Amino acid sequence: MKKTIIILSIVVMFTMACNKNAGSSTATLNEKVDTAAMVVNNTMPGAFISYGQNVTGTAKLYVKEGKYSLALENFSTNNGPDLHVYLSKEIQPANFIDLGKLTSTNGNQVYAISVKPDFTQYKYALIHCQQYNHLFGSAELAK
Amino acid sequence: MNKKIALIAFLSISVSMGFSQTGTLPRINSFIDLSGTIGESQGAIAASYVHNWRLGKTKRWEIGYGVRWTSYFGVKNDFTTAPGRLARSTTFPFLIVFAAHETKNEDTLQVQRPFTNSINLSTNFGYHFNNHWSAGFNIDVIGFTFGRTSSAVLTSNGVTKTENAARPAAFNVLLTGDNDIGSLNSEFFVKYQLNNHWGIKADYQFIFVEYKTTTIKQTAPDGTMVDRFRNKANLFGVGVSYHF
Repeated sequence: MKKTIIILSIVVMFTMACNKNAGSSTATLNEKVDTAAMVVNNTMPGAFISYGQNVTGTAKLYVKEGKYSLALENFSTNNGPDLHVYLSKEIQPANFIDLGKLTSTNGNQVYAISVKPDFTQYKYALIHCQQYNHLFGSAELAK
Repeated sequence: MNKKIALIAFLSISVSMGFSQTGTLPRINSFIDLSGTIGESQGAIAASYVHNWRLGKTKRWEIGYGVRWTSYFGVKNDFTTAPGRLARSTTFPFLIVFAAHETKNEDTLQVQRPFTNSINLSTNFGYHFNNHWSAGFNIDVIGFTFGRTSSAVLTSNGVTKTENAARPAAFNVLLTGDNDIGSLNSEFFVKYQLNNHWGIKADYQFIFVEYKTTTIKQTAPDGTMVDRFRNKANLFGVGVSYHF
C-alpha cells in the first residue's frame, strides 16, 4: 500500500511539473472597447481565416489617447493548449508581438498592445498554439 | 543538568560508535543508482553506475568515477544566452562561477517542449558518517546528448521570433560555470543505507541543459551571432541505490 502511494505521488508530482498549459476558457466573453476608441483598420474587415480549427470572427485595431488595442469580435475557435494572440509581420509567426494567452475560445475580447507597432509591418492578427507551434487562424489587419 | 550531561554523553557515544563502524566497510563502494527530481515545469530521471574507492583507515571519505544517463524534460522553459564570454564578466576557470552576470547581453529562448537524454562520465565524492548515513556530491564531466527538436520563442532586444527547430547541443564538457558546453548534471545527496544492498537518498540536482537554434540567432552587443542557450534547472527529489 505504501509503495503504491509513493509511486502515485511521484507520478502526480511529475504530471504537475509538466502541466503548465491547459486549454483556454470556453466561457462566452463580451468585453467591449471603450466607446471613445477609434477603429484603426476600418478599411479592412479583418476576418479570420481558419486552418482546420474552425476560427471565425473579426480582428479590429482600436486606438484611444495613443494606446492601441486589438479586439476579437464575434470570435470563436476550437480549443487547444497554450493558445496565444499575436500581432505578426507574416501569416506564419516568424516575427511577432505576443499579446498574451487567448482569454476564451468564444465571444468578444480585447487585448492591450503595450507598444506602438508599425502596423504597415505588423499587419496580421494570429491565433497560435505556441507550445506545439501550430497556427489556428489569421486575420489581415492592413494591406 | 545531569540529564543534559547524560544526553550529550549518549549522543557522543552513538556518533563515535557510528564512525567506528565505518572501519568494517569494504574498500570499494560500487552501486547503481536511480533518481527522480522535479522543479518548476521541469524534471529529470537519472540512472548511474558509480565505482568509488574508500580512502584512509576510517574509510569515511570516498572518491571515484561513474557513468550517468540523465533524461531531462520540461514545458516552456527559459534558456538564456550560453557563451561564458557573454553571460559573465570573466571567463577565467572557476572564477567564472562567482563572476557577475552580464544581463545586458542575455536574451531568452523559451523552448516549448525540451527533452534531452545525456550520457556523461562523472566524478564522485562521498563522506560516510556511519554505516547508515552518508552524503555526497557528483558532477558530469564529459559526454554526449540527444533529444527532441522543439519549437522555441526567441526574445531578443524586445523583438519576438519563432525558432522552428531548436535542438539539444550534442557534445558536453565540464569547463566550470558558464564556460561549460552542453548538458551536465550535478548532484548533492544524503543517503540512508537500509541494508548491505539497498539505500535511499534525498536529492538535489543542478542541471545545465543546452539547446541550439538552427534558423534564427541572437545578435550579441559585440556583433557576434549566438545560437547557444542554456537552462539551469534546480531540481529536488528522491532516489534509490543498489550496492554490489
